Amino acid sequence: MKHVIIGAGIAGVSAAQTIKNIDRNAEVILIGEERYFPYKRYLLSEFITGAIENEKIFYTSAEFFDENGIKLRKAELVKSINTDEKSIKFFHNEVMAYDKLLIATGGAPALGPVLRPYQKNIQRYYSLKDILLIKRKLASIKDVIVFGEGLSILDLLCSMKNLGKNVTYIVKGDKAEFPTVASEFGMDLHEFLLNKGIHVITNDRVVAIEADEKIYQVLTLNEKNLLADVVFAWDYYKPSIDCITNTKIEKKNGILVDQQLRTSVEDVYAAGDCVEIYHPKIKDYWINFGWPNAAEQGEIVGKNMTGLEVEYEIHETIPFNLMGKALTARWWE
Amino acid sequence: MKHNELTVRFCGVAGDGVVTAGKILAGACASVGLQVMVNDIYSAEIRGSGKGTTTVRFSSEKVRSMGDGIDVLVGMAAKESISEIQDVKKDGYIIYGSSTPKDLKESESLAAHVPPEIHGIGIPLKWLANEASGSNSGRNLVALGVLCYLYDLAENIFINHIRKVFKRKGERITDMNVKAFQLGYQYCEENYPLNSEFEIKKDLPTTQLISGNDAICKGALDCGLKIFAGYPITPATKIMEIAAKELPKINGWMLQVEDEIAAVSAIVGAGFAGKRAMTATSGPGLALMSEMLNMAVMAEVPIVIVDVQRGGPSTGLPTKVEQGDLNIALYGGSGDSPRVVMAPADSEECYSGIQLAFDIAEKYQTPVIFLSDLFLGQRIETADINENINHDRNTRKKPTAEDIKDYERYKITDDGVSPLIVPGETGAFYTITGLEHSFKGNPNYESDMHSIMTEKRFRKFDSMVKDLPPADIIGDEDAEIGIATWGSTLGAILEGMSIARQKGVKSKLIKSIMIHPQHEESFRNFFSTCKKIIVPEMNYQGQYAALLKSRYGIDPIEIHIPAVDPVSPAKIAKKILEANDELVQ
Repeated sequence: MKHVIIGAGIAGVSAAQTIKNIDRNAEVILIGEERYFPYKRYLLSEFITGAIENEKIFYTSAEFFDENGIKLRKAELVKSINTDEKSIKFFHNEVMAYDKLLIATGGAPALGPVLRPYQKNIQRYYSLKDILLIKRKLASIKDVIVFGEGLSILDLLCSMKNLGKNVTYIVKGDKAEFPTVASEFGMDLHEFLLNKGIHVITNDRVVAIEADEKIYQVLTLNEKNLLADVVFAWDYYKPSIDCITNTKIEKKNGILVDQQLRTSVEDVYAAGDCVEIYHPKIKDYWINFGWPNAAEQGEIVGKNMTGLEVEYEIHETIPFNLMGKALTARWWE
Repeated sequence: MKHNELTVRFCGVAGDGVVTAGKILAGACASVGLQVMVNDIYSAEIRGSGKGTTTVRFSSEKVRSMGDGIDVLVGMAAKESISEIQDVKKDGYIIYGSSTPKDLKESESLAAHVPPEIHGIGIPLKWLANEASGSNSGRNLVALGVLCYLYDLAENIFINHIRKVFKRKGERITDMNVKAFQLGYQYCEENYPLNSEFEIKKDLPTTQLISGNDAICKGALDCGLKIFAGYPITPATKIMEIAAKELPKINGWMLQVEDEIAAVSAIVGAGFAGKRAMTATSGPGLALMSEMLNMAVMAEVPIVIVDVQRGGPSTGLPTKVEQGDLNIALYGGSGDSPRVVMAPADSEECYSGIQLAFDIAEKYQTPVIFLSDLFLGQRIETADINENINHDRNTRKKPTAEDIKDYERYKITDDGVSPLIVPGETGAFYTITGLEHSFKGNPNYESDMHSIMTEKRFRKFDSMVKDLPPADIIGDEDAEIGIATWGSTLGAILEGMSIARQKGVKSKLIKSIMIHPQHEESFRNFFSTCKKIIVPEMNYQGQYAALLKSRYGIDPIEIHIPAVDPVSPAKIAKKILEANDELVQ
């Protein structure tokens, strides 16, 4: 049985390991877009501040894949899937057949139509590659502008501040808010940012980012003109599912799956941040972002791919670990 | 990550431009003073689209061998490059084309075979080449651009060198190639921005790139080569090509003849006529030459035969290296047939050594077989050639006026060398044949005369030894492990010794360009200080080891590496460490 897994994040790795644990003879191919061994994405902020060493962020290695009998194909992009012929096609036009396919391509920050034209002037803050590029430039960075929402913004803001940078955070609303249902911070997050020395600009948004040599000029809706050495911006978090274009696999924002993480096409499964799971209580699809969910889904889908029938139970809250303090967050309200 | 040494291999089929890519990379590196070595491996078939590789190793330090493993594999042809992956070091790169127009089978995809500890880099080589040239031409330049960015090498130096290489093809072609290079560079910058750094020491003088074949021909021309006769054979043909180009400029002749027998016959004639003459061949050619070689021994005619060794026996492995011709060089032929056998270790020694070969041949009136090999002959390396140019160099022993009065071509002398005149000189006359002869050169079959003449022919070698410099001894003088090497294996062995030294095991090495005769005292002294002796060589039998055993009574550890690829320094280091373990026990 040939199991092909697109996406080498925690969902994909967890599924691959589960499949091999159940069926040692199964052929498992794990395809990752990044050129690194799978790593703990949630530790990237600690990594950028130097709180942890390079090696600590990796939870896999060449030996890991060798011992588990999993074939890892790094730095490779799958551009299409042919579910009729049960094959996938890579960017370089290699065609690979599968018996069972798992799509675990995750999600990533994305830009809306206003900011998209300025993409090359925006520093991404998502992958290890992004972080390594930022690390390389850190010494020359003094002023940082951040625009966007989501918990990872908190990570970014605090990392940059802890590194001694002047941080300006632009928010659309009256105050900096995050989709949390419960906080163990003991204080309002907006207040927390101000106390930390982060300059927060409210009721505004970035509309243009121009580059002049290595200085970036940020124009806001309220006609503020700000200068920075680096600009971080994103509008929303989006499942990365380009590879299912032109397939019969049903999707909304993410790939639609049932509680056994099966897609609408036979022998094609999906797990992690790229899926929307059918929620029997609300009778609609539900997105569960985050590392712990993805790990759990990976294990369940791995079992199901070997022929077992295990259901994923949707968690309505997601435990996060942020700046050493636990936060409980619920997304997509 | 900083690098100060890199090995890059381009792998492709005919038309992929792997040799050109290697040439540009090597030239660009040499222009900033880096030390470089380039090795081409290609298929033996002249026609067809066989696989070929060009490997370039460059460093701020002296590059002595091709080393172990490669840092970057540029897979210009996917299927053919798969078998090269095994040589890529951990954390190395494999650059592969990602714009293959047709669907690719998993089994034929280079990317599918990249192990996780190596970084695969997909580059749309064809698309970018098309953008630059409107065709598939220039994929090699795109790959070079990628490489240049990956290691943060100076873009302008590459561009200058590309312009230099393509200058003769005109501005349009040159611009296309520069554009292809730039597109590769930019694509890598945009898609793989995390590059490494290659440290180049500033203010290094530009280095000179030369191959062993180039150096042999240049050395011969600079010391008075006037006649070259040859028949093309891989891997020696380049020598003939250079001779064809250069000899007419100095009123010399290059004769391409019908076979190797004719070639050696022609140079025996030229030597007889007083000209410095040479041929160049490989093992199968040397086998054909053995009869005329013997005649040169018997007639005491100075000739130089270059044998650029390849895998044998017979036509064997035309494009693989082997040091398998030592026995035929030493012993091939009929009767008691002494001849000089020399083996250079690098391009610098190819240059100086061939000049020494001519001087010995002329001074001692003997054939000299100069044993290069495919790896040494074809590899291009940075070399510090100490030029010694004298087109009228002459070391022949001239007869005195007294000698001329009653000229004896084979006059008995203390050193065994008889005064030699060129036919046609006034006052003396003689003929040469392959027959045993009298002092005047007339056929003579008397056993006493045969004994006298045989002894004379061998006595020249005793005299010659006195002229020879001591062998080179390299390494830790107090080491108990000694290595005896010959020919092109030297560089890899020195690197192997260095690896072993880093692991705390000392060793030393003895080498001499002279295989026969040898400065025996140097060897005896060296071996007497060694508790373990290792003799590595690229043949199955251990031909040099056999010579040393019979000559010096040693019992060495033999490493026999039959033809395939150049010797691995790591394997040599392993043997040194094993020898040390045995000593410790």
